[in-house]
Amino acid sequence: MFHVSFRYIFGIPPLILVLLPVASSDCDIEGKDGREYQHVLMISINDLLDTMIKNRTNCPNNEPKVLKKHACDDNKEGMFLYRAARKLKQFVKMNNSEDFNLHLSRVSQGTLQLLNCTPKEDNKSVKEQRKQKSLCSLGILLQKIKTCWNKILRGSKEH
Amino acid sequence: MTILGTAFGMVFYLLQAVSGESGYAQNGEFEDAELDDYSFSCYSQLEVDGTQHLLTCAFDDPDVNSTNLEFEICGALLNVKCLTFDKLQEMYFIKTKKFLLIGDSEIHVKLGGKNITSKKLNIVKIVKPEAPFDIRVIYREGANDFLVTFNTSHSQKKYVKELMHEVAYRQEKNENDWMCVNLSSTKLTLLQRKLQPDAMYEIKVRSIPNANYFQGFWSEWSPTFHFRTPEITGGKMDPVLLTISILSFFSVALMVILACALWKKRIKPIVWPSLPDHKKTLEQLCKKPKKNLNVSFNPESFLDCQIHKVDGIQARDEAESFLQDTSPSQLDESEKQRLGGGMQGPIWPSEHAAITPKAFRGDSPFGCLAGSISMCEALVQPSSRSPDCREGCKNGPHVYQGLLLGPGTTNSTVPTPSTFQSGILTLNPTAQGQPMLTPLGSSQEEAYVTMSSFYQNQ
Repeated sequence: MFHVSFRYIFGIPPLILVLLPVASSDCDIEGKDGREYQHVLMISINDLLDTMIKNRTNCPNNEPKVLKKHACDDNKEGMFLYRAARKLKQFVKMNNSEDFNLHLSRVSQGTLQLLNCTPKEDNKSVKEQRKQKSLCSLGILLQKIKTCWNKILRGSKEH
Repeated sequence: MTILGTAFGMVFYLLQAVSGESGYAQNGEFEDAELDDYSFSCYSQLEVDGTQHLLTCAFDDPDVNSTNLEFEICGALLNVKCLTFDKLQEMYFIKTKKFLLIGDSEIHVKLGGKNITSKKLNIVKIVKPEAPFDIRVIYREGANDFLVTFNTSHSQKKYVKELMHEVAYRQEKNENDWMCVNLSSTKLTLLQRKLQPDAMYEIKVRSIPNANYFQGFWSEWSPTFHFRTPEITGGKMDPVLLTISILSFFSVALMVILACALWKKRIKPIVWPSLPDHKKTLEQLCKKPKKNLNVSFNPESFLDCQIHKVDGIQARDEAESFLQDTSPSQLDESEKQRLGGGMQGPIWPSEHAAITPKAFRGDSPFGCLAGSISMCEALVQPSSRSPDCREGCKNGPHVYQGLLLGPGTTNSTVPTPSTFQSGILTLNPTAQGQPMLTPLGSSQEEAYVTMSSFYQNQ
């Protein structure tokens, strides 16, 4: 009798805990009307891209693997933005100007503020993020974030 | 009992005293009297200095002792949790780039590190734009309006770009009578006709966020601009246009006057010609060859001619006696014509031609009958009064000198019978105005003259 209850106590709950992240739904996006994105985030993204265009060196045409791994797929836009916003934080610590870092922080923090996500953090992905700190990657990431936001807003307008 | 009552009384008194201490709390957060004292309000100004934003707070009650009070903002900040305000006199402000501009922040009022009061607000909802500047008013003469232009620093900003402006203007002497116009652009047109002429006006403008994402309060008024409206000078017509209009007016007036004056004499006969009067036409025809001829159907023009009434019976008798000397002939149409055409010999009417006065009225076309001839002679007798009459008398043949009877007979020569041309004869004095016309020969004009001479108007 005791060993049966022990199984139920120590067997099933961990299984549930493991399966929960897989079964959990995607993030909720609060700023679907686009006002926060159009009046704040887009301004910062464009400023960052303009600065990078001025200072950009030759960037490879191929996309980094880390960025290929995550895409703004249908019904997964929130999760993509969440991961992209977290990646942006890694670029803040670089030797950039104050305004550049502030814009990066605004895009990252502002996006996270508009999302309601609670995914499990992946240690492996964090290591990979640390590797990709070049401006070229940042530029691609920002473009993807911009594209994903436009996709979300288009979808909300259609509905 | 008294002790019990006293005890109860004290208990009630203590209860009242304790309950009277309103707002008692451990942290002091619910002290209503102090909350009222420390109420404050804030406004934000974005990109006021380059990329730096400004947040300004102040107590609503100016009498608050803010010596040891501090303001702190937490939340919706970049890379930091909280920021502390700076103090300038009674105002608390913070100038930073670290506003996230998304989400709510919390502002705490602290006294000695302890929170006195807090307020939750969103920085993008309390935006106060900078005041517009450089307001100008230009008068456009061609368009008869005033172009108002002004400038705003927000046109160069990234965040608060869309504003709603309010332009207020008034006549200087009319206090508190401001006219307001709302617009989203920086240009405004004021029509001249809506303003008083030759008056001094003042104008100012302020702005507010367009309430799309950024909201807030009205900015301060811009500096006032003064302008004067021009006088009305009759609409300041073009001199050339004025001259042309005056000339055309006078021309039209002159034409109207001339038309009225010459209507009857000149214009109406052309526009509405009257049917020609046969009498006047005949007179005109007669006048042409001989202008001095007294040609008229109006008996009054022959008043000075001596017209003698001829007695019909006496004239017949005398005519018969006269006819004994000459061959009588029937008086017919051809004889009439010859009479009219200036025949040589006398023509005596037949007996039936001796018409009684009654029969004369319109029946007989004959000009000269027995008696009538005499009448002709009498009528054509020249008179010394008027030359026309004389001439007419001269032309007319006069056969019977003896018939020159009645008053008015003057000593004048009697024309020869060969020159007899009478065509009109009137015997009946009552039959005035009824000439009897005999068809004449070639000289119809002379016949009409003679007939006119017999026209009596008694």
